[in-house]
Amino acid sequence: MTKAPIIQAQKLTKVYSSGKIEVTALKDVDLAVGKGTFIGVAGSSGSGKSTLMNLLGGLDSPTSGSIEFEGELISRKDKNELARYRRHDVGMIFQSFNLIPFFSAVENVSLPLLFAGVSKKERREQASVFLDRVGLSSRKEHRPSELSGGEQQRVAIARALVNSPKIILADEPTGNLDSQTSSEIVGLLATINREQGLTVIMVSHEEALLKEHCDEIIRLFDGEVKVKEQLK
Amino acid sequence: MKLIDYVDLSFSNLWKRKLRTFLTIFGVIIGIGALVAMVSFGKGMQKNVSDQFENLELFNYITVFSESFNPLGFGGRSPRGQRQRGRSRDSQEEVKGSEPKPLDDEVIAALRSIKGVESVFPDIRFPAEVRANEEQVFSLIQVLPAEFAQSTLMSLRAGKAYVSDEEDSLIISDSLLRRIGLKDLDTAIGQKVRISTLILDFSNFNPMNLASMIQGENLPIAKEDYEFTIVGITGRMGFGSPTPLRSDVFIPRGTSERMKKLPFTNMWDFFRRTEQNLGYSVVNIKVESPAFVNAVKTKVQEMGYRTFALIDQFEEIRTGFLFMDMILAAVGMIAIVVASLGIMNTMVMSILERYSEIGIMKAVGAGDGDIKKIFFFESSVIGFFGGVFGLALGWVVSGLINRIINYFLAKQGVPFIDYFNFPWWLCLGAVLFAVVVSLVSGIYPAVRAARVDPVVALRHD
Repeated sequence: MTKAPIIQAQKLTKVYSSGKIEVTALKDVDLAVGKGTFIGVAGSSGSGKSTLMNLLGGLDSPTSGSIEFEGELISRKDKNELARYRRHDVGMIFQSFNLIPFFSAVENVSLPLLFAGVSKKERREQASVFLDRVGLSSRKEHRPSELSGGEQQRVAIARALVNSPKIILADEPTGNLDSQTSSEIVGLLATINREQGLTVIMVSHEEALLKEHCDEIIRLFDGEVKVKEQLK
Repeated sequence: MKLIDYVDLSFSNLWKRKLRTFLTIFGVIIGIGALVAMVSFGKGMQKNVSDQFENLELFNYITVFSESFNPLGFGGRSPRGQRQRGRSRDSQEEVKGSEPKPLDDEVIAALRSIKGVESVFPDIRFPAEVRANEEQVFSLIQVLPAEFAQSTLMSLRAGKAYVSDEEDSLIISDSLLRRIGLKDLDTAIGQKVRISTLILDFSNFNPMNLASMIQGENLPIAKEDYEFTIVGITGRMGFGSPTPLRSDVFIPRGTSERMKKLPFTNMWDFFRRTEQNLGYSVVNIKVESPAFVNAVKTKVQEMGYRTFALIDQFEEIRTGFLFMDMILAAVGMIAIVVASLGIMNTMVMSILERYSEIGIMKAVGAGDGDIKKIFFFESSVIGFFGGVFGLALGWVVSGLINRIINYFLAKQGVPFIDYFNFPWWLCLGAVLFAVVVSLVSGIYPAVRAARVDPVVALRHD
């Protein structure tokens, strides 16, 4: 790996405690993601993939260990700084799309700009541009319920991109899609990675898709990194 | 986030749940409406009374009581009438001990010479029958000098006050006018009215027959008729305010002195009058301005008379109004508390429904502060509309009540009075208060919404 890491984690540990029971979701995970790379994360369910994504995305804080984003310690940031980090540096994509059902496609895409303080007119313009880019020019005013799964995920990708983030975190983006659509969605992410040099970290079960597009695959077992496969 | 975005977002969020939003706002409308109606009623009462006081210059009056007159005891407030002059002068005895001089014309002259006193007139009233056409009503006639009949004290609904103290003219209240069968105010002016006074008729008076007299039989009483012309019609006071005018018929002083009449208004007076205490029971003093009240009062008390000045009571009246305001506001507050619980309920429900939405917002970069503000804006929008429409409701309802009350009181001759008052601060305050109450109700929901853990909210299963 020759590229400088955009995000790296050291001895990342997350312990969830509910009552007396403690569950170690992640244990001493070390990670370094080079700028502009496409990283795949694989592992059976409960292996800590989602926890890793939440920590990297600043939605959650680690129990111990550190995360550095462009040389800044994410794991030390307070709530407001984390919100700022999510707002400007990260774009997240989820398995269940997580679109707001009352909002149209363009409104959903413009949501991150709302919190960034962009004016309404400009929000719509930018959202429109990104919807064009993911191939939804004709579906801008549709609500999520009027869109297919693949289309919804495209809206979510447009939303992840609209803030011009430096890293895309996709947590099983194909989990709710058929194989045809899945390869289209991952293909879209790969195109974005390739054309804009945007760093993508994607969790997936689909070995074929991971192997086809990723530069590196990290395999998690019971919260620990067991294998790192360098593909390209 | 920009301010306009918060407003935009809260409107669209509330619009999504129209029925619930409407019901919640309706709760606030009722609460604010009740509060506004209550407070405006309190303020209306206060305004009516203090306006009346000021218009009638009531703070300029001092009431002087003769030492023997007990305004709160037996016989009530009603003072006795004028003594029969000739007799009282002749049989007047020297005042014994510390008893002050009776309140006679000499005392009145002395009172008039006190610095700051504008005028003095005795409070003279006597019972009589008032008759026009066939209708006949028993009433108290008050003797009122022409200068007072023409003063601001007397508010006329029609006609003019009599100008001389010698004319056979009277001013009558519209309610009494109605009772004697004259409904139309304008045509009543110039009509003749017969007043029958009661006089003592000693031709068949038997002093041994006291027992039957007490029961009201065999009274040595006869009637004497006098004819008057109606020159003015006064409205009756809406409240029992302590104005020096306490009657339905007013006649000039000179005319009154030429009439034969009984100088008492009840049986108790009748028996007491022979013992002592000649002169007037009550004398009204008008001072030039309220500033003179205390000095004049002290002088009058030094002369040995008891006094009453309304200005002394004003602080007490104010305290009374404050107390009334508080009770009225407390009733209104109950409705507000219920409405605020409604807001809280709606907003908490909204969090539960929008749990994942909050998670999404946080994931795309909303801070805790953004989420809090979104919820605060929603509750304040509820409060604002509740406040505005509540104010409107309170205004409409109190207007209706006002009309209904006045409709019934008008039948009794009470002039139209606004029982509700909407000062600008009440209107503005109602809306502001509604918003503040909603914001307070929104604190808990907003804090709770901001605390939503995005990891939990976005967990897909």
